Amino acid sequence: MLSEEKKKEILERLKNGVIQYDEDAVKEAAQEAVELGMDANEAIFDGLVSGMEEVGKLFEEQEYFVPELLMCADALYAGLDILKPHVKKMDLGVKGSVVIGTVEGDVHDIGKNIVKMMFDVAGFEVYDLGRDVPLDKFVEEQIKTESDLVCLSAMMTTTMVGMQKVIDKLREKNPNVKIMIGGAPVSKDIAEKWGADGYAADANNALKEAINMISSLKKMREEAESNKAKS
Amino acid sequence: MAVSVTNAKERITRLFNGEEVDRPPCFSGMGNVTTEGLKQLGYKFAATHLDAKQMADAAATTYKLFGFECAVVPFDLCVEAEALGCEINVYAHSEDILYPTIREKVIHNEDEMDISVPSDLLSRGRIGLVKEAIKLLKADIGDAVPIGTYVLGPFTLAGQIMELNDLLKLSFKKPDKVGSLLGRLSDVIIEVAKSYEEVGVDYITVREMGATSDVLSPRVFKNLILPYLKRIFEQLKGNTVLHICGKTNDIAPFMMESGTKAISVDQKNDIVETRKKLGHDALIFGNYDPYNVLVAGDEEKVRSTIRECIENGVSAVWPGCDIWPTVPAENMKAMMDEINRR
Repeated sequence: MLSEEKKKEILERLKNGVIQYDEDAVKEAAQEAVELGMDANEAIFDGLVSGMEEVGKLFEEQEYFVPELLMCADALYAGLDILKPHVKKMDLGVKGSVVIGTVEGDVHDIGKNIVKMMFDVAGFEVYDLGRDVPLDKFVEEQIKTESDLVCLSAMMTTTMVGMQKVIDKLREKNPNVKIMIGGAPVSKDIAEKWGADGYAADANNALKEAINMISSLKKMREEAESNKAKS
Repeated sequence: MAVSVTNAKERITRLFNGEEVDRPPCFSGMGNVTTEGLKQLGYKFAATHLDAKQMADAAATTYKLFGFECAVVPFDLCVEAEALGCEINVYAHSEDILYPTIREKVIHNEDEMDISVPSDLLSRGRIGLVKEAIKLLKADIGDAVPIGTYVLGPFTLAGQIMELNDLLKLSFKKPDKVGSLLGRLSDVIIEVAKSYEEVGVDYITVREMGATSDVLSPRVFKNLILPYLKRIFEQLKGNTVLHICGKTNDIAPFMMESGTKAISVDQKNDIVETRKKLGHDALIFGNYDPYNVLVAGDEEKVRSTIRECIENGVSAVWPGCDIWPTVPAENMKAMMDEINRR
């Protein structure tokens, strides 16, 4: 039987390992969590994600910059790879599949990868089209996979305008699909004008948006569990 | 009495020399070709990157059509990377405006960072083509407006020839290794920029947007990148501008310390603060948003933004990035009209 104390210690190690971008420490703690039969969901959300939330704060305070963020993400993935096979499938009430990619003409994918990471964490089925993706590919992939969320990323002003075309085409085929756009040149005005459902202007923003989304999933999970307990 | 200036060329030359000007010039060190210009010439954007005459013709139209006070070549960010062996994609198939990108990098992992600089660097890729375009522009409109060109900064160039992900992490984990790559790339940049100076280019912008404070800490900028920027500006004899977009308020003093004649910042910079920090005589170029204002805004938005830039104390009205080609003609005209009222 896993003691509360031991559980707390492992969660703390997972969290701090992510914050201190210490892949080995995270791997070790994740391995121990699995061996001791700890709930993998809990280890992911209260350990790894909790660490990433802290990283987001450090980023906002300009203690951390993109290199640190990338290293923290590596540490998170090191833990996720170990924990994920042990996650029990949960009905979250959302379909949970997403098409994501950087639009044609743009080869910058750091922001996209950060958002992708949070979807991976949340257990979404992620269809990552990569970078420099021809615009029609987004539409084809959405139809093929019936994903209910499409995330488009562009880091440069010079490629951002391609996103508008994808949004129009997606809406034409499937008016209900949720669309999130991201990248340095993106603004609230542009998101509204082009009919996107959400936007993230920078890595920090993307991380925050994704964390918000994950947090609300987490809340749903907790509610689902407490309902289960009640019945 | 205000000084009288005959044309844009004289105005900008005086500005770089630290002399009095009649009004801030309105020009750029980055791409500013417009679809209006391309339409008039009957050129396709994708083709202008591969032909010196088309490149020069297209670059001249922004002055010829709107009175924009410069002409700048090239239009993409791949010239040096291509000369170093990267394969580029010009998206010849596309009817849309897409800027060339790197298809194949030359450094695939950490062990390949020890690159050697080709001895025939200047005859590789499109460096000769850009030089030819500069010469054509000088002959065409060189008496009326200054002819500009740009090179990438060493860190941004490193991000073109290797995975940006790896570069960023290594700049933290193994700064010595990154430093030695930046040193070699600085030599490349100096060689290329000097060859542009030799054919008579009037000013060179060094674009180091990869080192913006949105990505890298000011501390890493100062320790890892600034020494190489200093090396570059020490070697260049003509007029120079250092451009970094995104957050730049904390690094603006370092940018100036690099030895560049002028700095260029975008709409995220608080110009009033930067002016206060750098003093009355510092050449600060900026800082209107070339997409949200110039392309997506209306004429009134364009005019009020230009007025704001001047009131905040820019030395030249200058965009935060390349001007997106689909800029409406009336917005370009409104910008130039607003400037000419000064």
